[in-house]
Amino acid sequence: MGIFLLLPIGWAILLAFFDFSPRRTGSPFLGLGLDNPYVGVEHFRRMLDFSNTAPLEVRQFHTALKVTLLFAFLVLPLNLAITLPLAAMIESVRDRWKVVYRTIFFLPVLTSAVGVAIIWGFVLHPQRGLLNGTITRLTGRFTSIAWTSDADLVFGGLPIALIAIIVAYLWQDIGYNLVIFIAALQSIPDSVKNAARVDGASAVQTFRYITLPLLKPTILLASVLTMISSFQVFDLFQVMTNGGPDDQTRALSLDIYDSAFRYQRMGWAAAVSVVLFALVLTISLVQSRFLKANWEY
Amino acid sequence: MATTIERPSASGRADEATRDRKLPGQRRHGLSRVALYTLLSILGAIAAVPFVWMILGSFKTGAELRQTPPTFWPHEPTLGNYETILNDPDLPLELFYRNSLFVAVTVVIATLFTSSLLGYVFAKYEFRGRQPLFWFVLATMMIPAQVTMIPGYLILVQLGLLNNLWGLVLPSFVDAFGIFLMRQFMFSIPDDEIWSARVDGASEWRIYRSVVLPQLKPALATLGMLTFMFHWNAYLWPLIVLTEQEKRTLPIILTWYNTQHAAQLNLVMAASVLMVIPVLIIFAVSQRWIVRGLTLTGTK
Repeated sequence: MGIFLLLPIGWAILLAFFDFSPRRTGSPFLGLGLDNPYVGVEHFRRMLDFSNTAPLEVRQFHTALKVTLLFAFLVLPLNLAITLPLAAMIESVRDRWKVVYRTIFFLPVLTSAVGVAIIWGFVLHPQRGLLNGTITRLTGRFTSIAWTSDADLVFGGLPIALIAIIVAYLWQDIGYNLVIFIAALQSIPDSVKNAARVDGASAVQTFRYITLPLLKPTILLASVLTMISSFQVFDLFQVMTNGGPDDQTRALSLDIYDSAFRYQRMGWAAAVSVVLFALVLTISLVQSRFLKANWEY
Repeated sequence: MATTIERPSASGRADEATRDRKLPGQRRHGLSRVALYTLLSILGAIAAVPFVWMILGSFKTGAELRQTPPTFWPHEPTLGNYETILNDPDLPLELFYRNSLFVAVTVVIATLFTSSLLGYVFAKYEFRGRQPLFWFVLATMMIPAQVTMIPGYLILVQLGLLNNLWGLVLPSFVDAFGIFLMRQFMFSIPDDEIWSARVDGASEWRIYRSVVLPQLKPALATLGMLTFMFHWNAYLWPLIVLTEQEKRTLPIILTWYNTQHAAQLNLVMAASVLMVIPVLIIFAVSQRWIVRGLTLTGTK
C-alpha cells in the first residue's frame, strides 16, 4: 500500500528533472532518457528567469504563481469575515430555523464545482445575465459588462474576472467552514455565554471576548484547510474563464493541466506541480506552527 | 490536520433543552431577534438567488431570455427546453447518468471495504511501524491532485485504461481520508468485545465482519455519502482520462453542452437543472451524514 501511494509522488519528482513528453519515445524505464533527456535542475533554474526574454511557459508560470497567491490570500480573510459572524448568527436562532439557514448556505458545497461555475456563468452573462439585468433595471441604462472576459476591467488593481471567480468560490465554499464553526459554537457550553450576558455583556461583546477566543483552535484549523484547498482550485478557473482574459485568471493548477495535457510538456508541468506541492506544504507547516503556538493558553 | 469537534450527545441534548429557556431580561431582545431573522433571510436569499435564477431561466423561452433587461419570473413558463433536451439524440442523459453512477457506486463499495479493513488494522492491531505508516497515509492526503495526475495518467496509459471508466475507479480503491475516518470511529469499539470474540474462536475475518462492521454502520454511511459526492462531482481526473463522448460523466458533459449551446442559454439552464438538481436534492436530504463527516474530521 505504501508503494501504491508513494509511487506517483516519486515519479512526479523524477519527471521534473527530465524534458519529458509522452509523444516522444524514451527508454523502457518509465519512458525516461533517449528522446526524453535528463535536464537536471534546468526547469527550476528557468523558473527563476524573470527577464522579458523568458520563454512563454516561464512567463505563464510567473503569472500563474501570482494569480494563485492572490486568490488564496484574498479568499481566506474574506471567507472568515463571512463565515464567523454568519455561524454565530445561525447558531443563535431556534433549532428548526438553524437547519433551514444552514441548508441554504450549505447547498453550494454539495453542488459540483462545474455546476457552480456554470450557474455563475448565468448570473454574469454579459447580455442575459442576472447581474447586468439588475443593473440595467436599477439604473435604467442598458448595461452589458463582460465580467469574466474583458481584460480592461480592473478594480483596485485586481482583474474583475479574478474577483468574479473569488465570489463564485466563496459562494461555493463558505458553507463548509460554516458547518465547522456552527459545530464548534455548539460545543461551547451555554453557561459560559449566559454568565457573560448576566454580567451585562452585549451579544457582540460576548462574541468578541468569550466565543471568539474559545474558537481559536477551530479557526486556525479551518484557515489551514481553506488555504490548502484554495491553492488547488481547478474546476472554477477552467470552466468560468479557462485562464482568460489575457491570462488574468491563469491559476497554477490550470497552468499545470495545460502544460501537461494540452502542450504535452509533462516534465515542465511536473516541475511546476512540485513547486505547488512545496508551496502547499510550506504554508500548512507555517500555519500549523501557529496552531501549536496558540494552543497553549 | 485533524481535530475532533464532537459534541457529546447527552450533554448536547441538555444544552438544547436549556437553550429555549429564556434568561431574565432576554425578552427585550425581541426587536433584535426580528432584525437577526431578517438579516439571515436576506443573506439566505442572496445565497439562493443563483440557483433560483437558473431554475426560473430553464422555464423561459429563448426569446424571453434574450429580452433586455431579462425578466426575473418567466412570463410564459414553458417545458419546451426540457422537451428539447430529453429528445436530443446527442445528449443521451440516461447514459451519462449511468456512467456517473457506475463510477461513484463502484468507488463507494471499494472505499468502504478497504477503509474499514485498513482503519480496523490501524486502530486495533499492534505491529511494528504502525504509527509511522499511519502518519504516512495522512501525509498523502496533503499531496495536491495536480502532482499525482501526471504519473497517474502515465500509469493508466501503461495499463491500457485510458478512456475507460475503470480508469476513474481503480486509483480510488484505497483512500487515505477513508482510512483516517474509519480509524477514528473504530476507537469507540471496546477492545474487550474483539478479544472475547477471539477467545470464542472466531477468525479474524469473522471478527471484522460480525463484530466490527455492524457497529460501524453510521460511520460507513458518512464515508459512503462523502465518497459518493466527491466522485459524482469530480471533474479534473475524468477530464484527463475520458476522451470519448459516450464514456463521459455528467460534469464533463455539462461543460461540453454549455460550450456547444452557448447561444441558447435557456437550453443550457434546463440541462444544468437536469444534471445538477436531482442529486443535489438527495445530498441535501442526507446532509446530516455529510456534515457529520466534515465536522468530525475537519478535512476537505
